[in-house]
Amino acid sequence: MINGTGITKTFKQRGNVLGRREVPALRGVDFEIGKGGSASFIGESGCGKTTLGRIIAGLETYDSGEIEIDGTPMSPLKLKHRQPHFRKIQMIHQDPYSALNPTRTIYQTLQAPLALRAGQTGRSKGWIDERAAEVLSLVGLDPGTVLSRYPHQLSGGMRQRVVIARALTVDPEMLVADEAVSMIDVSLRLGILALLKDLRERLGVSVLFITHDVATARYIGGDGELYVIYRGQVVERGPVDTIIANPVHPYTQSLLSAIPVLHGLELPGEEPVVPLESLTENQSESGCLFAARCPFRGDGCTDERPLLRVTEGVPQEHACYYPQRRSVIARPMSEV
Amino acid sequence: MSDTLIPETGMSTSATMRRNFWLGVWRVMKRKPSRMAGVVIIVGFAFMGVFGPMFFPDHLPDNPNAITQPPSWAHWFGTDPQGRDVVALVITGSRYVLLSAAVTALITVVFGTSLGLFSGFKRGRWDTVLMRITDMKLTIPGLPLLLVLATVWKFGSPIQMGLVLGLLGWGGVARAVRAQTLSLRERGFIEAARGLGLSTKHIISKELLPSMAPYIAMNMLIAVTGAVYAQVGLFFLGVLPYESDNWGVMLNLAVFQAGAMITTNALGYLLAPLLAILLLTLGIVLVVDAMDEIFNPRLREE
Amino acid sequence: MADQAPGVRIDGLTVVYKTPAGELPAVRGISLTLEPGTITGIVGESGSGKSTLALSLLNAVQPPGRIAAGSVEIDGLGDVVGFAGEQLRKARGAHIGYVFQAAQNSLNPLKTVGKQLLDLGRSHGVADLRGLVREARELLGRMGLDGARVLDSHQHELSGGMRQRVGIMLALVLNAHLVVLDEPTTALDMITQANILKIVREVHAERGLTTLVITHDIGVVAEVADRLAVMYGGRLVEQGPTREVLGSPRHPYTRGLIRAIPRLVGDIDEARALPGRPPTLVTVPKEGCVFRERCELRMDVCDTVDPSVVADGSRIVACHAVTVKEHAS
Ligand SMILES: Nc1ncnc2c1ncn2[C@@H]1O[C@H](COP(=O)(O)OP(=O)(O)OP(=O)(O)O)[C@@H](O)[C@H]1O
Ligand SMILES: Nc1ncnc2c1ncn2[C@@H]1O[C@H](COP(=O)(O)OP(=O)(O)OP(=O)(O)O)[C@@H](O)[C@H]1O
Ligand code: SF4
Ligand code: SF4
Ligand SMILES: [Mg+2]
Ligand SMILES: [Mg+2]
Repeated sequence: MINGTGITKTFKQRGNVLGRREVPALRGVDFEIGKGGSASFIGESGCGKTTLGRIIAGLETYDSGEIEIDGTPMSPLKLKHRQPHFRKIQMIHQDPYSALNPTRTIYQTLQAPLALRAGQTGRSKGWIDERAAEVLSLVGLDPGTVLSRYPHQLSGGMRQRVVIARALTVDPEMLVADEAVSMIDVSLRLGILALLKDLRERLGVSVLFITHDVATARYIGGDGELYVIYRGQVVERGPVDTIIANPVHPYTQSLLSAIPVLHGLELPGEEPVVPLESLTENQSESGCLFAARCPFRGDGCTDERPLLRVTEGVPQEHACYYPQRRSVIARPMSEV
Repeated sequence: MSDTLIPETGMSTSATMRRNFWLGVWRVMKRKPSRMAGVVIIVGFAFMGVFGPMFFPDHLPDNPNAITQPPSWAHWFGTDPQGRDVVALVITGSRYVLLSAAVTALITVVFGTSLGLFSGFKRGRWDTVLMRITDMKLTIPGLPLLLVLATVWKFGSPIQMGLVLGLLGWGGVARAVRAQTLSLRERGFIEAARGLGLSTKHIISKELLPSMAPYIAMNMLIAVTGAVYAQVGLFFLGVLPYESDNWGVMLNLAVFQAGAMITTNALGYLLAPLLAILLLTLGIVLVVDAMDEIFNPRLREE
Repeated sequence: MADQAPGVRIDGLTVVYKTPAGELPAVRGISLTLEPGTITGIVGESGSGKSTLALSLLNAVQPPGRIAAGSVEIDGLGDVVGFAGEQLRKARGAHIGYVFQAAQNSLNPLKTVGKQLLDLGRSHGVADLRGLVREARELLGRMGLDGARVLDSHQHELSGGMRQRVGIMLALVLNAHLVVLDEPTTALDMITQANILKIVREVHAERGLTTLVITHDIGVVAEVADRLAVMYGGRLVEQGPTREVLGSPRHPYTRGLIRAIPRLVGDIDEARALPGRPPTLVTVPKEGCVFRERCELRMDVCDTVDPSVVADGSRIVACHAVTVKEHAS
């Protein structure tokens, strides 16, 4: 339903000393998410996941490239004509506290977008109330108790459900969930994830899941595609399970190696990959973006940037000159 | 979390919500008796400004036999150099002061808020232009300008007075509201509203404004006190001609004509308007204290 | 000053907060021993009382909270619950290092890290400030940072992971041997988290510390802790050696929590959400088991009787179902 080609975005910041500083947030990203499908973006902090998610939800502009929604290219359209397309794509923010207006009741929050639709389609006020109750039931909340509440009277998990319900008021075709559970109580997280998964199955809503926790990506979109993003570039892309089981890019391997091992239940992977240094702002731009941190850097790595492509013997796309499967993730003890 | 004064249906919507709001306001007021006192004072002054003068003739009767009397049972705060009752003067004079203060507050808030909102919301070129204007306006020194204006204008009508003070005073509010708007528009719920395709009108009036309401209400009340001080000060300094009776004129006459600094007889004449101003300020300060809780559902509902 | 890892014995600790609904316990009757030289992890959800418990180690619970009962015995110091004023201030920093929750944001934005270090030294009457700076540089270097540069930096010039390391440095620089880390990796991404956890482990071993790590993330304690204690609604519901607790959790809450973690391998659909939601200070049951609202093994007795803490070797569990089973077998 949505696809993008060569999306770039550079933020210009007012620097502290040396005038303007340019932050390349995205460097030519291609993506494609089908109807009812799912995709996950993973990567370190600052790699551009949120920026890409916001561009996909129409909340941020891009410098070059093209986005097509249901086959219609977006950039030739005026803002006014673009908006109805992007309305089909709703963002679920990380922070359910700031995503709801504290001065409005849940009913008021849901009523506004519904009233807009009712106005457009000539529906009655009764429909609005009915639909408000309906979307709340869809996300597993009891309309009777929740509608008249203010956000502060709900728990974090309930708030995030309300945020999802609000997105559903416009009958979206896709939800962009940006770290949607990271601020929610641990025991409630899986409930939200299960809800997103359920919405996918029941309503056929596509889900784009943005996270730095690969395991949650696997839970929601096990059948979808995983995009591993590093410094604004997709460095590995393929089916979630393929990449988790057989990562070939050293950066993906570092990410997967960093996932805590539940000792007692799991055994650590045999060849964990640890980056040589941490990500800093002014790491080299020439050649492979990961070169400065890559333990497997070889000839030519710093000359020309490897682009995302398929090479022989590797099922997924990757951007590395020396792709090599490594066993990095933990194994369950029961399998050993 | 358990306190649900709210009926479980939630469907009869706006009416119940409005009722809940006022119930909440009542709760906030009850929480501190001082707030009630503040409300009583302000309502009292409003009453005085609207209806007070009706109880007195247009021209208070002079009494040459009772010039500048000290307080007595007949005249609680004594009489003025023309033998008029001071209390009656305070009451009849209140209309001018309060009406012009109300006009000032209205202009300050409406102008300042809409400009600040527009500027902060549109950002970009509009913002730059509007804020430049605001800055320029802020640099205009108020008092000298008033002095100059006073030479051409008599400020006989309180509305005129309020207009001028209001037009001089909106700059600060505009800046502050703009700053608030800029920070609020980064919040998730504003972005969500845009993503849902809600109109700018909705976003500004239903999402942004309520969040800023305590702030605006406070500014309005503070503008009232500011306006009262400003005009009373102007009249007291004798910058403006005595076109009408009001508290500033009273103060001026008490000091420079009745000689309140020399004779104790005129003390009541001096104190009465001062007390009125102090009381009004007190009332406003007490009510401002409640604003945050009234407009913040969390504090209101608890 | 003790130059070796101290042991800590918390006994019957209860901490209450004054609220409009009266004084409510955020930590209730907790007993926990930190063996010298070990890393203990406390896991619990938001509001379960983790930070409150940690603050009690320093007797640093701020009003409206207060320690209502119990003792905290620290080797070489005594019962800190009785401490006050100067005595307490000296113990903090020199004896107990503390990395506060959200340490990323707790540095003074107006001062360089170096200035803050000197302030810390002065307030503890350190005579050799040069030595202090040298020690700080060494510690930062040990954690993979350029010490000199970091000391000259302001907070905003450092990334989240760097700030967290600065926090650890400040906790250790006065040579404390008991270290408390409150949510050391929250808001950091996976790679940085792994890096910080590695540092915690290494510094712990090299300097001979007793370490307490507090987190909501089981993965974090699984990575670093020797012993694991699970908190729920102000109570410790289960504790024991990390591997044993993770391998065979006994308390229904621990089990539910582990089952609710999506895993990288195995059948992803085995992950199950825990029903209900965690209690708040006001809604936590006054009597009976704190977890009963969400418990699948709930029995009648759970509604009225608070399960007592039962030790079975190194494992300690507070649950009627577990005790019953043990008695039966
Ligand atoms: N509005 C902005 N102005 C300037 N720079 C920005 C802006 N938004 C993002 N950036 C920069 O763009 C880069 C990518 O940011 P983005 O928020 O997309 O990262 P992310 O992958 O979502 O990270 P995180 O995991 O921390 O959320 C970062 O270097 C960030 O500092
Ligand atoms: N100053 C305070 N006044 C009143 N209640 C408080 C105060 N500080 C904490 N509490 C309450 O005490 C309980 C325990 O709080 P504490 O901060 O110890 O939890 P925590 O486990 O550290 O949670 P988190 O993971 O959110 O940091 C909570 O219910 C909290 O609301
Ligand atoms: S291209 Fe070279 S430097 Fe880059 S990830 Fe592959 S091996 Fe490492
Ligand atoms: S005591 Fe009862 S309610 Fe509590 S965890 Fe055990 S079985 Fe469940
Ligand atoms: Mg992000
Ligand atoms: Mg805490």
